[in-house]
Amino acid sequence: MNDDCLKLTTYFGERERTPNGLLADELLALYGRERLQASVLLRGAEGFGAHHSRRTDRLLTLSEDLPVVSVAIDRRACIEALLEPVLALQRRGLLTLERARLATDSVLAPSAPRERPPAETKLTLYLGRRQRIARVPAFVAICEQLRRGGVAGATVLLGVDGTRRGQRARAGFFASNSDVPVMLIAVGSAQSITAVLPAIAAALGEPLLTLERIRVCKRDGHLLARPPELPPSDARGRPLWQKLMIYTSQSATHEGRPLSGQLVRRLRETGLAGATGLRGIWGFHGEHAPHGDRLLQVRRRVPALTIAIDTPARIAEAFTIVDELTAEHGLVTSEVVPALLPAGEGAQKLALADHTS
Amino acid sequence: MSAPIWVGVALLGGAGAIGRFLLDGWIAARTRGDLPLGTLVVNLSGALALGLLTGLALSGDALVLAGTATLGSYTTFSTWMLETQRLAEDAELPLALLNIALSLLAGVGAAALGRSIGAHL
Repeated sequence: MNDDCLKLTTYFGERERTPNGLLADELLALYGRERLQASVLLRGAEGFGAHHSRRTDRLLTLSEDLPVVSVAIDRRACIEALLEPVLALQRRGLLTLERARLATDSVLAPSAPRERPPAETKLTLYLGRRQRIARVPAFVAICEQLRRGGVAGATVLLGVDGTRRGQRARAGFFASNSDVPVMLIAVGSAQSITAVLPAIAAALGEPLLTLERIRVCKRDGHLLARPPELPPSDARGRPLWQKLMIYTSQSATHEGRPLSGQLVRRLRETGLAGATGLRGIWGFHGEHAPHGDRLLQVRRRVPALTIAIDTPARIAEAFTIVDELTAEHGLVTSEVVPALLPAGEGAQKLALADHTS
Repeated sequence: MSAPIWVGVALLGGAGAIGRFLLDGWIAARTRGDLPLGTLVVNLSGALALGLLTGLALSGDALVLAGTATLGSYTTFSTWMLETQRLAEDAELPLALLNIALSLLAGVGAAALGRSIGAHL
């Protein structure tokens, strides 16, 4: 397990272009050339960002430039070297850097003892679309393992492009797409995740996963803790940012209206910098059985994930709305984002802040 | 139909689609609710205009160009259906049914209104 890794996440519009082609293609081609340990491109379902205009796949006309999210993980030096070329490609949208621990083999023991172990953890696994464990899709088998292990929730997101252990695999319409990455995000107590990790690693053989420190704020409508109050900047004056992730289901409603759509709309009305809604393919939270779509159904049952990032003060305001909307459903987590940069600015402005909450 | 009319159908059809795209996008970006108002406004205004044109007894090439080409590509049945299905998928069945009922009743009403206005002009 490598404790000194970084996760670079960029948010932009699907139609964003560079002189050589679509930004999404160019970014992932770069990640492929740099042979990143893990990277994935996710297509969003709705959101708003830099221009503050609403995008949603609920309406045909507003779905022509949906949000996309690219995630890249590797050793600190690799990701730091990547910042210049990424910023040269991406002129609009948002970039964030977060710290993560990365495991690329079955040795899961942390390489250095931590000063203070986190109470809650986010586990992210990078699987192949067609990867199987005992003839069951790997993401289904692992969700079941996590649920039985008492982990609070998991969401499986389908990547359309990405790298795993340096190998790029891009989804095509007439291809088997078996190696295209799938991202499985699980959150829960550090204890529960540490307990199931060896079994998952054994089932996968060579797991590719990251562990990040988070705080679970709400679970199934119950408020556990408000997002930790962060100062606007660290001791050396580097600004701190905060991220909320809201895990619900596409069929979840609040006062009879769909929850995921309302979340994005209300967050936009509060003037938050940006939010992105993603739709998963499989997942669970709480005691509910893992759920996904079936053939021939009216309502969709897939998981929905909403990501919102802004300054700690704005996130504290946004949480009040999130808390109100997730009165009955949803798992809400908060994370410290130590570096954020609107695209179009220089990489030297992206300094990692230090904060241990 | 002559070649210039075919070209006219292509051009006006394209213009109708662009008109819908712009108007729908403008309305959709400004509405708060989940009802697809952009598509509703496009379809109702199209029905009214087509009623008006036939009420004015437009026929032949003029009707093909203004009705079939322009209004035909301006209004959209498929978007109405897709957005209704998306409402149902997102657990908003009452709104989905309202979207169907409203389009049908107001749509037929708009066409009738257009025809009677046209006939009186």
